[in-house]
Amino acid sequence: MIVRLVHGTTEETVRDLQESLEREGLRVLRSRERSRPILALAGKMPKGLVESLTSRPDVEDVTKPMGELLLVARSMRERPSVVDVGSVKVGGGTVVVIAGPCSVEGREHVLSVARQVRDAGAHLLRGGAFKPRTSPYQFQGFGVEGLRQLKDAGEATSLPVVSEIMDAADLPAFLEHDIDCLQVGARNMQNFSLLKAIARAGKPVLLKRGLAATVEEWLHAAEYLAEGGCERILLCERGIRTYEKATRNTLDLTVLPLMREWTHLPLLVDPAHAAGIARIIPPLSRAAIAAGADGVAVEVHENPAEARSDGPQALLPAELVHLVAESRVMAAATGRSLHAPSRG
Amino acid sequence: MIQALRHQLRHLDGAILALLDERARLLLHTSITDPLRRAAVDDILRRHTGPFPADGVTDVFAAIDRHCDTFSLEEQP
Repeated sequence: MIVRLVHGTTEETVRDLQESLEREGLRVLRSRERSRPILALAGKMPKGLVESLTSRPDVEDVTKPMGELLLVARSMRERPSVVDVGSVKVGGGTVVVIAGPCSVEGREHVLSVARQVRDAGAHLLRGGAFKPRTSPYQFQGFGVEGLRQLKDAGEATSLPVVSEIMDAADLPAFLEHDIDCLQVGARNMQNFSLLKAIARAGKPVLLKRGLAATVEEWLHAAEYLAEGGCERILLCERGIRTYEKATRNTLDLTVLPLMREWTHLPLLVDPAHAAGIARIIPPLSRAAIAAGADGVAVEVHENPAEARSDGPQALLPAELVHLVAESRVMAAATGRSLHAPSRG
Repeated sequence: MIQALRHQLRHLDGAILALLDERARLLLHTSITDPLRRAAVDDILRRHTGPFPADGVTDVFAAIDRHCDTFSLEEQP
């Protein structure tokens, strides 16, 4: 249950209400937003509590979000949240492009791609160092050395970096190399021990939707992060498994406008993993922005045929330039703007 | 019918302005001289097949360049 108090409610009143609710056996969580006090109540609601709260003059409304969502629920914030990833702000009326190689394949390679990502006007550099591959015989990533190379490339180009973490035991390496955003991949979306561990890390987390997860399950995974202390969460739709075989997965843009009603968190779309086919990524990216995405995440490689992972879905650097330009047009057409480019 | 037409025109005007603002925002962060600008506009004109008059297209781009140049100069340190 979420209780929104009227503007101007004094701190003393809020504290008194919080204490009285806690005496009823409820856990009370408070929104970080300063514009008005908003309280989230967890636990079994005593009989008559909702009626009692709604009758108070200092309570504007009491709402029941989907499932057991509280901290990530839309009603927990006055405005959709904006997440800082390094110098880049995700959400809040600007659109970002995240780009980079699927896997970090070496120091020179990732630096070269990073320069092209920056020059294309993209905003965040992605690159996998720990790779969750379907087969154990496929390239598994360079691990910690990959993180180092990715971060160095990001620093050389003034691009904040995003990389996937698969195991909580690797968290110290991600922190030591100051990876700007921790990505939780589709396969780990409901790895709750991983979510709990990284929630406390003080880093932004990009949470991909599981390949067979409902929106409700996805948002509850985000709630784990928020409840664990993570204040900067990005959600990323990356396609779900359906009976359709024409594409690798089915990009579920249908849910984007609904997600806006259910959560205040920024929404990204990864059309590359959904499609698995490079040539259809530009139209899917345009569609994602048109549907309200705060950004798109794509993969870039100078020679996709030689890529060590996911080559068929990698854009060429020149194609990324077009994608960024098209994203700018789509952002403007939907009343937003593309985030300012890196000055690196 | 007329009301709907007016609505659509206003919406398009808003979209045109949004795109002009995006162009201006892009220049806000960079200083650029483009020696191929004239050729790029000529290329746009060659590809142009819509009902908007070709002379008008030339005039519109000339005005955009003139104002963006002024804007760019004003914004540069």
